[in-house]
Amino acid sequence: MFCIRGCGRRVAACLTKQHLASVRFGGDSAAPWTPHFDVVVIGGGHAGTEAAAAAARCGSRTLLLTHRVDTIGQMSCNPSFGGIGKGHLMREVDALDGLCSRICDQSGIHYKVLNRRKGPAVWGLRAQIDRKLYKQNMQKEILNTPLLTVQEGAVEDLILTEPEPEHTGKYRVSGVVLADGSKVYAESVVLTTGTFLRGMIVIGLEMHPAGRLGDQPAVGLAQTLEKLGFVVGRLKTGTPPRIAKESVNFSILNKQTPDNPSIPFSFINQTVWIKPEDQLPCYLTHTNPRVDEIVLENLHLNCHVKETTRGPRYCPSIESKVLRFPNRVHQVWLEPEGMDSDLIYPQGLSVTLPAELQEKMITCIRGLENAKMIQPGYGVQYDYMDPRQISPSLETHLVQRLFFAGQINGTTGYEEAAAQGVIAGINASLRVRHKPPFVISRTEGYIGVLIDDLTTLGTNEPYRMFTSRAEFRLSLRPDNADSRLTFRGYKEAGCVSQQRYERASWMKSSLEEGISMLKSIEFLSTKWKNLIPESSISSGKSLPLRALDVLKYEEVDMELLARAVPEPLKKYTQCRELAERLKIEATYESVLFHQQQEIKEVQRDEALQLPKDLDYLTLKDISLSYEVREKLHFSRPQTIGAASRIPGVTAAAIVNLLRFVKTTQQRQAAMNRVPKTDQQLHDTDRLEESQL
Amino acid sequence: MLLEEHHFTAPQRASPRLLSLSLASRSEDLQWMGGTFSTGPNDNRELLSTLPVTPRSGRNLLRGLADPRGRVGRRGADCESMWRGLWTLVSRAARGPHSPRLCTRQGSGYRAPGSGATIFALSSGQGRCGIAVIRTSGPASGHALQSLTAPRDLPPARKACLRLLSDPRSREPLDRALVLWFPGPQSFTGEDCAEFHVHGGPAVVSGVLQALGSVPGLRPAEAGEFTRRAFAHGKLSLTEVEGLADLIHAETEAQRRQALRQLDGELGDLCRGWAETLTKALAHVEAYIDFSEDDNLEEGVLDQGGSPWGWEAETSGIQPPQVLLLSLSFPPSTADSEVRKLEVALGVHLRDARRGQRLRSGAHVVVAGPPNAGKSSLVNLLSRKPVSIVSPEPGTTRDVLETPVDLAGFPALLSDTAGLREGVGPVEQEGVRRAQKRLEQADLILAVLDASDLASPASCNFLDTVVIPAGARNPNGSRQRLLLVLNKSDLLPAGRSDLHPDLPSHLLLSCLTGEGLDGLLEALKKELAALCGDPSTGPLMTRSRYQHHLQGCLDALGQYKQAKDLALAAEALRVARGHLSHLTGGGGTEEILDIIFRDFCVGK
Repeated sequence: MFCIRGCGRRVAACLTKQHLASVRFGGDSAAPWTPHFDVVVIGGGHAGTEAAAAAARCGSRTLLLTHRVDTIGQMSCNPSFGGIGKGHLMREVDALDGLCSRICDQSGIHYKVLNRRKGPAVWGLRAQIDRKLYKQNMQKEILNTPLLTVQEGAVEDLILTEPEPEHTGKYRVSGVVLADGSKVYAESVVLTTGTFLRGMIVIGLEMHPAGRLGDQPAVGLAQTLEKLGFVVGRLKTGTPPRIAKESVNFSILNKQTPDNPSIPFSFINQTVWIKPEDQLPCYLTHTNPRVDEIVLENLHLNCHVKETTRGPRYCPSIESKVLRFPNRVHQVWLEPEGMDSDLIYPQGLSVTLPAELQEKMITCIRGLENAKMIQPGYGVQYDYMDPRQISPSLETHLVQRLFFAGQINGTTGYEEAAAQGVIAGINASLRVRHKPPFVISRTEGYIGVLIDDLTTLGTNEPYRMFTSRAEFRLSLRPDNADSRLTFRGYKEAGCVSQQRYERASWMKSSLEEGISMLKSIEFLSTKWKNLIPESSISSGKSLPLRALDVLKYEEVDMELLARAVPEPLKKYTQCRELAERLKIEATYESVLFHQQQEIKEVQRDEALQLPKDLDYLTLKDISLSYEVREKLHFSRPQTIGAASRIPGVTAAAIVNLLRFVKTTQQRQAAMNRVPKTDQQLHDTDRLEESQL
Repeated sequence: MLLEEHHFTAPQRASPRLLSLSLASRSEDLQWMGGTFSTGPNDNRELLSTLPVTPRSGRNLLRGLADPRGRVGRRGADCESMWRGLWTLVSRAARGPHSPRLCTRQGSGYRAPGSGATIFALSSGQGRCGIAVIRTSGPASGHALQSLTAPRDLPPARKACLRLLSDPRSREPLDRALVLWFPGPQSFTGEDCAEFHVHGGPAVVSGVLQALGSVPGLRPAEAGEFTRRAFAHGKLSLTEVEGLADLIHAETEAQRRQALRQLDGELGDLCRGWAETLTKALAHVEAYIDFSEDDNLEEGVLDQGGSPWGWEAETSGIQPPQVLLLSLSFPPSTADSEVRKLEVALGVHLRDARRGQRLRSGAHVVVAGPPNAGKSSLVNLLSRKPVSIVSPEPGTTRDVLETPVDLAGFPALLSDTAGLREGVGPVEQEGVRRAQKRLEQADLILAVLDASDLASPASCNFLDTVVIPAGARNPNGSRQRLLLVLNKSDLLPAGRSDLHPDLPSHLLLSCLTGEGLDGLLEALKKELAALCGDPSTGPLMTRSRYQHHLQGCLDALGQYKQAKDLALAAEALRVARGHLSHLTGGGGTEEILDIIFRDFCVGK
């Protein structure tokens, strides 16, 4: 074993009392006083908590290492979860028994489904979350997860060993070195460092190193990764100032009320913890030309905006909004930070001006005339690793058993982080148990789209989920995430509880039964019109219509249908979720039939696996241009499907790759033929015996 | 005949099972032979599929939107084996190098109809011939055969039968033809196949192709798709497959050039205009879906082109402030009206068969070289008529002159171009620009140099900028076809053949004496045979494909109108855009996002 770097600065890393024992004595490695875990997760943010919990759910003894236990589950930017595309991700995390959806159902203060009228495929579950409650609930969950240990400490370095010969990669990670020089050994390590890798906070012209306001950045770890040969990039993001609640004049602003009833995020919850009437409203205000003036007059005091580091195109600071879309009025949502919080989060006002100018700008906005700024907005610049250096299981190509999840891969958003966290945690655990990786395809979920986009195309701006990124959007809906992922999670990863599995199975069989029932009921359209006069079914022509076709009409729901044909449809209205899902299935039935064909084709491409150890740069017997070789070498696609999505990999290259793989397999098969035949004979004998 | 089982039975993520591709006999394809034919009933009808041009649209064309290079379809092949997706992925990758970022996150643009596409193509060679063979492959082959020969039953397998072909929609007779039915797997591709042996006139061929295109589930084959399907079903051996990558390459290139030519001119402007409208409409619908509620899509931004459209924030009880003009619109009104306009325009264009920009048939052979090398003399020699004015003065030819010729039995379009040089007057400069543009679109370049003047700067420059780059493999690994001709060999001292040791392979010719012409014709024949080898890239198929995609686009726009929710509406637009992308290029998700972020201030 060898360390890449010397030990870092000595920083007191204290262990929380309750976990001291398990850390000290839990290890079973050769060194008696050095702890040893199956999986070590570094970082306690949204990716880290999901990763640690998922690894533990999969049965691995897991350690979560974080700077401070009391910041586990901290929502460091917006006080909300979900949204369009992001809500889809949360549903999928939940389908794999992840935490954030359940915690949100216990911590929200304003639940609202977006895009209600635009079709169930693009509904966006969203909620304002009480920061304090979320953190409390998340810490309670994490600290009570079996097999999961939490320890405070700053990781300064990785312990690396020789790689396992049967896998690709230059090194193998076998543990981490903490800032105090102590070591923790691990079979797999998950890095979820967020904005902490050489994090730099910017307010006006001031810059100082920090991962988050008030937290130290991780510099040593960033250097380690760079020295190992990871391609490092730099991104920026920002957060708005916080305003004192009592200083806002809400009475003159537009009020948004939450949904009634609230729709929970988690499949296993029927309802959320708080009644709609107890939830808090949000308010809407707008910027004005005075805000533009302040921004434009003070650009020279704003180094975050001037920097060339790429920020997102879609979540711009007020400065970039003013610069790119001048003379416009921009929305500012005033969102509560919590039930008993004194703070208001002005969404849309992300800014990096010097603090006093921020306050000046705020007070010229309607309703905020007397607003008191409690904390200034700031920008963060941080390192990320080019995500083409990781495989779809989120393990790095370079270092075996090292996994990356969250902002380190160039994404933005809690939900994107959580989604990667679950996958990294599952795979870190599967890797320890020598099981095949758990990979979600683009055809199975937004998580698959997210990871496939990152690993095949990389990103040069913080990557955020949009529904328009999913080509199979009509199939990958929030309502059916459980039937897409829960069964795989249960069988392949073991990360899903029995209770959830049973509920998903019940739902699946009820849906199938319901759909075939709806298909079997058929009347003439005139009869349907008589049965359901409210419907817009045309009674002009008398055509046979299935109940499923009737359910496609916008104004028809299961309730109406069951009233018309109580037997046998009544029982499907007893569960609200089932009735709604039947309606959704009916809406998309005909289009989904076509989409299924296309999905199958993509899945077939993805079933054609490329050998992991191909050295594309030196490979002989295959005609590939150097440009293509380099691209394949860098991204290391695992399937022919993924290879075909890499820009610049030509059709001819794909055919050549296929041919190469075929001939290699033929050669191998020829070598194995004799023992195989024996085995077959043996099997035949056994079969005959059993028949006798 | 050995045909090993090749179903893919391993679990999804395990390595694919060994697949033995055995060389299967294709003798069943050859069982017909012979047969007598009566004269076709109506060979001189106007081509059904001429492409009319409507006036140039006044819209600003988005530059960079339409990238016609490197476009191949991405329709999925329908086969029963694990190889089924081969074509999809190959063609998806085929677009790679040309639109690096855009193509990869291709939306679900293009849908295979039903359970798997059935493809059709003209399988016999280009040009005039007595009999043309049109072939289909895929599950709907039987249906197609019955549709065209209705109400007759399918003919016995692998037996030639004489049938009257008629258009399934209009019942208009097309031709009396021999038809053959090859039920899979004993067919060339391993799928159900049908063959139509029709009279070779372009009107008949075009009519039958049109008729096939109107049968549900059928679409024109992409380059090399028949071979690819045969490969997929283990009907080709691995050695035969070796050539497949090259084949795909050559055909992809041929189609690219074809598309370039097709899109050069008013028709191209029209298509690009439509694609631009559609992309923008889709971008706006997608923005409305992804950003209008979550990200404070700013209403003011959407007020474009004088049509007030804004999107209502779906927030109960919120009154818009006075500065914003909010109007309830579902779906976004501008997108809606643009789509409606587009639908009308497409419908008119498809129905309008009178005026037409005919796609010129034959391989495009471009004669190029430095001034006064004798290009025009060569053109006149090859066409056996004085097409171009020749004079000893450099820069005589200033425009591109085209003449259809029969070269070694192949139809070709010969273009004479202005000599490539710099520092000349504006008219000649334009001529040089046109010449260079023509070079990009050429199937074959005849590079002409003055053999007695090889050391001159103009000759060297031409060698460096045109001849040498054409010989080098481009990033896709293919070469531009080029024949280097050294003219004026009569001026060389007798017996001097060692002109330049490092000159690429070349032919000596004297346009004056005709010496070397036979050698040139022989070389031309070889190149053209390779070029015209695949009829799927020929003009008839190109036209058929063009109509197919426009019709597909139109159908999808019809779906848009009927869509019950915005997600379904967007899906219809995605499909429509996928069809147009086949003609114009582009079509990725990233392109949509670019428009969204350019047009709208999206952000929290």
